[in-house]
Amino acid sequence: MSKQVKAKKKRLTFGQFLANNSVPIMFILFCAVCIPISGFSPSYLLNEIVTRMGRNTFLILCLLIPIMAGMGLNFGMTLGAMAGEIALIFVSDWQIWGIPGVVLAMILSIPISILLGAFCGGMLNRARGREMITSYIISFFINGVYQLVVLYMMGSIIPIKHSEIKLPRGYGIRNTVSLLNMRQCIDNLLAINVNGVKIPVLTFILIALLCLFIVWFRKTKLGQDMRAVGQDMEVARDAGIKVERTRIISIIMSTVFAGFGMILYLQNMGNLSTYSSHSQIGMFCIAALLVGGASVDRASIGNVFVGVTLFHLMFIVAPAAGAKITGDSMIGEYFRVFISYGVITVALIMYETKKRRNKSMAGQELAAAQKEEAQ
Amino acid sequence: MKKEQQDNIWGPAKFNREMKSLGELTSSFGLPRMIITGFLVLLFLLAPVAGVDFFTQITNVLNRFSWNAVMVLAMVPMIHSGCGLNFGLPLGLVSGLLGATLSIQFGFTGAMSFVMAIVIATPFAFLFGGGYGWLLNKIKGGEMMIATYVGFSAISFMCMMWLLLPYTSPTMVWGMAGKGLRTTISLEGFYDKVLAKFALDCNKICGINLVIPIGTIAFFALLAFGMWAFLHTKTGTAMTAVGSNPVFARACGINVDRIRLLSVIMSTWLAAVGILVYEQGFGFIQLYTAPNNMTLPAVAAILIGGASVNKASIPNVIIGTILFQGIVTMTPTVLNSLIHMDMSEVIRMIVSNGMILYALTRKTEGSK
Amino acid sequence: MKKRTLFFRIGAIVILLAIAAVMMVIGRGHTVYFDNKKLEYNGETYDTPYKVCVYVNDERVAKLYDKERGMATWIGQNFEMTLEITQEKGGDETTETYQITLPYNMDGIVINLPGFLAGLDQDAYITEFVPVATEETTTEEEELPGDEFGIDIDGDI
Repeated sequence: MSKQVKAKKKRLTFGQFLANNSVPIMFILFCAVCIPISGFSPSYLLNEIVTRMGRNTFLILCLLIPIMAGMGLNFGMTLGAMAGEIALIFVSDWQIWGIPGVVLAMILSIPISILLGAFCGGMLNRARGREMITSYIISFFINGVYQLVVLYMMGSIIPIKHSEIKLPRGYGIRNTVSLLNMRQCIDNLLAINVNGVKIPVLTFILIALLCLFIVWFRKTKLGQDMRAVGQDMEVARDAGIKVERTRIISIIMSTVFAGFGMILYLQNMGNLSTYSSHSQIGMFCIAALLVGGASVDRASIGNVFVGVTLFHLMFIVAPAAGAKITGDSMIGEYFRVFISYGVITVALIMYETKKRRNKSMAGQELAAAQKEEAQ
Repeated sequence: MKKEQQDNIWGPAKFNREMKSLGELTSSFGLPRMIITGFLVLLFLLAPVAGVDFFTQITNVLNRFSWNAVMVLAMVPMIHSGCGLNFGLPLGLVSGLLGATLSIQFGFTGAMSFVMAIVIATPFAFLFGGGYGWLLNKIKGGEMMIATYVGFSAISFMCMMWLLLPYTSPTMVWGMAGKGLRTTISLEGFYDKVLAKFALDCNKICGINLVIPIGTIAFFALLAFGMWAFLHTKTGTAMTAVGSNPVFARACGINVDRIRLLSVIMSTWLAAVGILVYEQGFGFIQLYTAPNNMTLPAVAAILIGGASVNKASIPNVIIGTILFQGIVTMTPTVLNSLIHMDMSEVIRMIVSNGMILYALTRKTEGSK
Repeated sequence: MKKRTLFFRIGAIVILLAIAAVMMVIGRGHTVYFDNKKLEYNGETYDTPYKVCVYVNDERVAKLYDKERGMATWIGQNFEMTLEITQEKGGDETTETYQITLPYNMDGIVINLPGFLAGLDQDAYITEFVPVATEETTTEEEELPGDEFGIDIDGDI
């Protein structure tokens, strides 16, 4: 049986390679058409891609752990982003600047992330089989709670000293909190300039560390458990793995890393849109991961890098190309949003159809086996 | 086991269950629903304290109920057939918007434009709903997540189309460019208040500030009655059977896929009509990203009304819409005048999303 | 085994808290203002030099004549600056590096240079600067470098 599977795998033809990587290939073709139309210079594009890679990769990497545990795309990563934002609000109120500020924000975000992650994980354990839609709704629910805290409690119950970040009415946080004092402090440290392209080395080192951590984590006992749970929950339970606990841990880890990722993202942006920075981040990270060729149940570090490059390339060139073709700049803007949503839709559909096909195939095999036995 | 399920499907036992003791009723009513109802009652009690006119508030709630109820009704067929909560509502909304804009483009005015909007929206709803239903049949089990993203994709696709389609009616396109639809289009002269103007003004009769929008409510009642009647036809009961137990339904010789397809088309069409009813009350057509903000309230409303992921009835729709719209209209006015703090947006977010979350995480009723 | 994991956990939390505490101290940012302005203190008047150039981190942040104010930002409490002082017009410059321990709780710190150079008490030459009237200026500020995902399609209510 397993031999057959192996033999099948070896016979991967070129066509199957195309089919398995259809999304990235489509994106490469799309970008290949759009880049000349958009009229951007290669050095500009390279610069943008490197910046965006440094900004977003960490966030996207945090999606890998729940996929490993078979929990699908973690739309609840927004929770981590909100934890990071709360931490940044405090740090900016306490006037801790520069790299110490970033480190402090990361430490502060950990307990909030753990709390939110545990909540999310617990909820998802109660909604087995529809983790994704549940995590998606959780992100909205917690967004409401986040607004309650930030808009009404900060400054009235939770002490906020500086009036610069408070709303004029005396409580609540302003729409934007300036992070000017820690703007790109991590990106600029150790940054090198190659032919006019600024490479934020330290940021990439942090990303590499997270990659190494994920690679190492897969080999640990907990990582193995997680993969077992992802493969088949019942089998894992029979093998003595605490399934619920393992799943919660995977979500907590993802949330904590999402918090770190959001802090890195915002230190690059240099300002925090208190009520909107996090709202789209989950969607775009997931779209980027899927563009990289990942699917709901399988994603690798390679997918992350391919995805972040292609997705952001599309994001940069689509509005300009759209404006050139149709003469309306909004078309391109809408188009790239459409593509982001479309990619997620297609990936979800492909995953579900595959799951069904496998299920029916397994059913047929079982029926055939039973028939043989009866004879 | 099988017998019990059969009873559930075919009726009499279900009726008996509803007659059970009050304690069980509250437990089946669910804690969140109790809290929401309690909150709404509290708001009503506080209304006189806050100096808000009670009957004006009732009028507002009734108005908003009449605008939104049809969209909530659109949830029913898909829940019945086991397709879960219809997060793909935007697909129907988009066909409704197409109907509305095309009707104006073709030069219909007054009440005729409303009728024509429904007529024009219908083929679109059938087309989109058909495709959407076909898709959902391919991916049984993952409906809700995919529905969400199908809805988003549809809206962002239509965002481009509103700009690109060759609309020319001067009331709808941007004045400067002469092309591309505006984000909000006024319905004055078209079907603004076409149903809502048939209202019963109690001020003239008994001197209270109560206006009952009879026209819109009657329209909803018509559709709701149609839905109720449909659910009692042979096809309707088959639909319920498919939702409760697809294996059993198939064994009974019901074509599951066809029934599901039908339910999706019905949902989509009702959503299309729902947005038109909403527009005639609101007075404007909102295009581009606006339909996004319709889905979650509709889903939350029916859940608040007592529906679950795979069970819904007409009373659920009515109760849910009244409760949800009650909170939406009451919180800003009452809280604002009481504590000078407009927390309505946040409360609405927590209530509606919390309700959906609660429904999704209830262990007992897993749709596989 | 159980005890050991607990020990490690507490250890990790303690280390994180320690790092956080260190960060709070070394990362405290201050805005330092330099006033080249006559100072009256205890009945004595400290006159200003003709011109002072202030260097922070080897970068000239201000060139101050009489009654002028300069500004620099500094992270941490051990503030270090180099002053290049010209007492008279056309006179010689004297360059010297000074260190000041900044008070932790002040965001904006005004250093009165004549007072500082005369070697007075900290209380005498340091005052707190509180920016005023931010209400109007920051409510509807010009758009800061915004989010890349300009259009927002919220799936939200």
